[in-house]
Amino acid sequence: MSISRDEALDQLDPDVAWAAWKKSDRQPWDRSRICLLWRRGGFGANEQQIQRSLQLEPAEVVDKLCATNDSDLRLSSFSADSAALASAVRASGDMNKLTAWWIHRLLNSPVPLLEKMTVFWHGHFATGAEKVQDAELMFQQNELLRKFALGDFRQLTHQISKDPAMLIYLDSATNRKAHANENYARELMELFCLGEGNYSEADVQQLAKCFTGWEIRRKQFRFNSYQHDDSEKQLLGSSGIVTGEQAIDVVLKQDAMPRFIVGKLFQFFICDEPTPPGSLLAPLEKLFVDSNFTLEPVIKTILRSNMLLSGWSIGRRIRSPIELTIELLRALESNTNLTKFAASLKRLGQALYFPPNVKGWPGGRSWINSSTLIGRANLVFDLLNDPNSSFAGGTLGKLTQKLGISNFESCINWIDSTLLAAPLSSNERKQLLQILESVGQDTMLKQALLEVAALPRMHLS
Amino acid sequence: MNHRLSRRSFGTTTLRSAAGIAIGTQLPFIWQQSTIRGAESSENQKILVVVQLSGGNDGLNTVVPYRDETYYKARPKLAISKDQVVKVSDHLGLHPSLRSLEELLGEKRMSILHGVGYENPNRSHFESMDIWHTCARKDARSNEGWLGRMFTAGKFDPSDSPGIHLGSEILPVALASRGLQIPSIASVEEMRLKSATKHSQMQNGVEERPDKAPMELESTVDSGLLGFVSTSTQVALQASQRIDTALSSSDASYDFPDSALGQKMKIVSRLILAGLRTRVYYVTLDGFDTHANQPLAHQGLLKQWAEAISAFHKRLANDGQSDRVLVMSFSEFGRRLAENASDGTDHGAAAPVFLSGPKFLDWQVGEMPSLNDLEDGDVKHHTDFRRIYSTVLQDWLGQSSQIPLAGMYEPLKNVFAV
Repeated sequence: MSISRDEALDQLDPDVAWAAWKKSDRQPWDRSRICLLWRRGGFGANEQQIQRSLQLEPAEVVDKLCATNDSDLRLSSFSADSAALASAVRASGDMNKLTAWWIHRLLNSPVPLLEKMTVFWHGHFATGAEKVQDAELMFQQNELLRKFALGDFRQLTHQISKDPAMLIYLDSATNRKAHANENYARELMELFCLGEGNYSEADVQQLAKCFTGWEIRRKQFRFNSYQHDDSEKQLLGSSGIVTGEQAIDVVLKQDAMPRFIVGKLFQFFICDEPTPPGSLLAPLEKLFVDSNFTLEPVIKTILRSNMLLSGWSIGRRIRSPIELTIELLRALESNTNLTKFAASLKRLGQALYFPPNVKGWPGGRSWINSSTLIGRANLVFDLLNDPNSSFAGGTLGKLTQKLGISNFESCINWIDSTLLAAPLSSNERKQLLQILESVGQDTMLKQALLEVAALPRMHLS
Repeated sequence: MNHRLSRRSFGTTTLRSAAGIAIGTQLPFIWQQSTIRGAESSENQKILVVVQLSGGNDGLNTVVPYRDETYYKARPKLAISKDQVVKVSDHLGLHPSLRSLEELLGEKRMSILHGVGYENPNRSHFESMDIWHTCARKDARSNEGWLGRMFTAGKFDPSDSPGIHLGSEILPVALASRGLQIPSIASVEEMRLKSATKHSQMQNGVEERPDKAPMELESTVDSGLLGFVSTSTQVALQASQRIDTALSSSDASYDFPDSALGQKMKIVSRLILAGLRTRVYYVTLDGFDTHANQPLAHQGLLKQWAEAISAFHKRLANDGQSDRVLVMSFSEFGRRLAENASDGTDHGAAAPVFLSGPKFLDWQVGEMPSLNDLEDGDVKHHTDFRRIYSTVLQDWLGQSSQIPLAGMYEPLKNVFAV
C-alpha cells in the first residue's frame, strides 16, 4: 500500500498513512528518500551519512535519528565542546553568543532531531529575550526544552509554567491576588495546549486566579501563599480547582490537547498546508494518549510512515531559515564564523531566542517575502565566501575532491540529489552547465551552489 | 523640487543583473492582474498608510476621559491625572506624550473615531487581529485580507505594487490575496542581491535570448509552493529595483525621529515623494500588550507613534502633498477598564481609531463610549471597524467596498472635509 503524489489529504486512509513505509521495486530505499528522511528528521545528511543509511533499514535510520540517549551523544567530543562553549557563553551574558552556542549544536550534534525539536518547542513555548533581558534564564529555558524535546509533554507544560524566562515574558513574575494578570493563563490555553475557541473568557479569568502568587524571586520560581487566591475555582467544566498545578492538569486533560499538539507536529514534519482533517490525525492522537503523552513514539511513527516516506510530502514544506542554512552547512561538512552567522539569522526572520511574538514563528509561506528571499541568497553567498568557513576541514575545492566530484555533470548531480527536494528542471540544468563551463573546474562547486541558492526550489523541503 | 519617477527612468540593467536568482521562473510583469484590466495612470492618486499598533493599545489612557469618576476609580494607579492630560475638549484629553498631535487635531488634520470594535469581541491577539485583517471570524475565514481583496478587485497602476509592507514581521494578512503578492520589506538597505554582482553566464544567457519561449516552470512538485516561491522571487526583484531607484532619487535629508517607526515613516514619505505608484503602505509598531508595568512602556510607545506620524505629515505638507495621504492608526483591541495588580491592564474590547493627514470636518467622530455601560468589564463599541474601512475604501481610495469587506458596510458620514 502506498500513497500517490497527488492524493488529497482528506482522501487518505489514516491507517495506510501512518503504517510503516516498506521499500519495494517501485519505491526503492534510495538516495532521495534517505535525504528526505534526514531533512525532516534532522537537518539533512552529509555524504557519509547517506552512504551509511543506504546500508541500513529505514526503521534503523529512524531509531538512530531518535536516539537521544545514545552513547554516541554522551561520549562524543561534541558534548564536551558544547558544554565548554556554554560555560564561556553563560559567563558573558551575551545573547548573540548564546545563539552562536545553539548554532554550534545545530551544526554538530550527532542527534540533530533533538535540536530540531528544541527549535520546535522554542517556537511553541515562544519566549523573547528582548523582554526577558537575561541570557542565563534563556539558556536554562533552552535546556528545559531540550530535556523534554521528545519526552513527556505534560511534564514539559508543568515545568515551563514555572520557568523564570517564560513567567517574565508573559508578565507572571508578579501575579497578585487582588487583580490577577491574565496573560499567562490565556496563552497557556490558546497557544500552548488547546487552541483558540476551546475555552471561554471566564476560563481565562478563573485560570489566572489559580496562578496568583506564582512569582520569580532571585531568578527562581517561588510560590507566595500570601498572594495566592485560594478560593475554589471552576475551570473548563471542573470545579474545586485551587492551585496552579491542579489547573494545569485540568487544561492538559481536555480532549482538545492531543489534537492540538499532534496537529502541530503534522505540520512540522509532513506539510505546511493544507490543514489535515481530524480523521487523518486520529491514529496519532490515540498513540499520543496511549503513550501517556510522550512525544517520541508519535515522532517515530511519523518519521517511519507512508505519509512521509512514500514521497507525498516531498516539496510540501518551505524550509525555515535554520533548516535552509544548517542543512546546507551540514551537507558541505562546514564550519563557519558562528557569531557572525548568528547575527545574520534575524534578517531571514528567524532570530533564535527572539521569536516575533508569543505565537512563535508561523512558518510555511510566511518565511518567504522580498527581503527574506534576497537575504537567503545573500546569506549563502556570505557563508561560502567567509574566510572563516571551512569545508571538510579545508576549502570547497578539497570537499569537491573528497566527494569525488570530477566534472560539471557530477557536480550538478550531487547538489541536485543532496540539497534539493524538487529536482532541477532540464532547462535549469542546461543553464547551470553553461555557467560552470565558463568558470572552470576549480570553482565549479561554489559557483553552482551560489546559483542554486538563488533558485526558488532551494526553499522547498 | 520633485524627482518624480517615470516608468522609463528604470533601466533594465538591474533586472538583468539580478536574473541569476530568477532562473526557472518567467520574467514577465508581476503586477499583471492590474495590467490586464488596464488601469488609469495615477500620478496624483490618493494614498493610504496603515499604522498598526500591535498588542492592544490602551485606548482609555490614549484619549483620556479626564472628568469621569469611573475612570479614576477603576485605575487608582494607572489613570492619567487631570492636570497631566493634554486637554482637547472639556472632558477629553490626550496622554501627555501625545503633545505632538495637538497641532494636527487643532487644524482638524487628525480625527479621533471613538468606540470602534465589533460584535462578540474576541480577546485573543491573534484572533482579533485576524478579524480586523480579514473582516471574517475564524469559521468563515479565507487567507485573504481586506486590502488584498481590494487590490485584486480594483484597478491599479501596474508600474508598482499597489501595496508595500515595510517591516521585519510577517506580511500582515490584511494585504494578502490569492491573486497578487505584496512585497514585504524588512530593510531597504538589504534589498540588493550580492551574488548578482558576479558576472555570470546565466545573466548573459537571459539577456541574449529575450525572444525565446519563457523558461519552463514545470516541476515534479504539485503543492503550489514552488509556484508561490517563484512568484515571490519575481516580486522581490521588481520591488527591490523600483525601491532602489526611488530612494536614490529622493531627498533623504529631512529629519525624522530616530525611532523604529520614525524611520519607517521616513521611508514611506520618500517613496511617496519619489512618485512610486503604490497606493497602500503598511507599517506596524508592536509592544502595546501592557499587562505589567504599563506606564513607562505605554508612554514610550505613544510618544514614538505621535512623533513619527506628526513628522510624516509635516514632511508631506512641506511638499504640498498633505491632501493626498491618509494615515489610519488602529489596534486589535483596547484594554480592560480596571487595572490589574501588576501595574498593567488586560485585554479589552472597543477603542478609538485615528485618521490623520487631510482636512477633516471635525477632530472627532462619534462619542466616547460610556464607562458605566460595560460588557465583561470592557468598553462597548458603537461603530463597527468595517464602517471605517468602508469610508476609507469608498471616500478616500475611490474603490468599491463590498468585495474587500465581504459585505455591505455603510461609510461614516461627515468624516472628510472635501
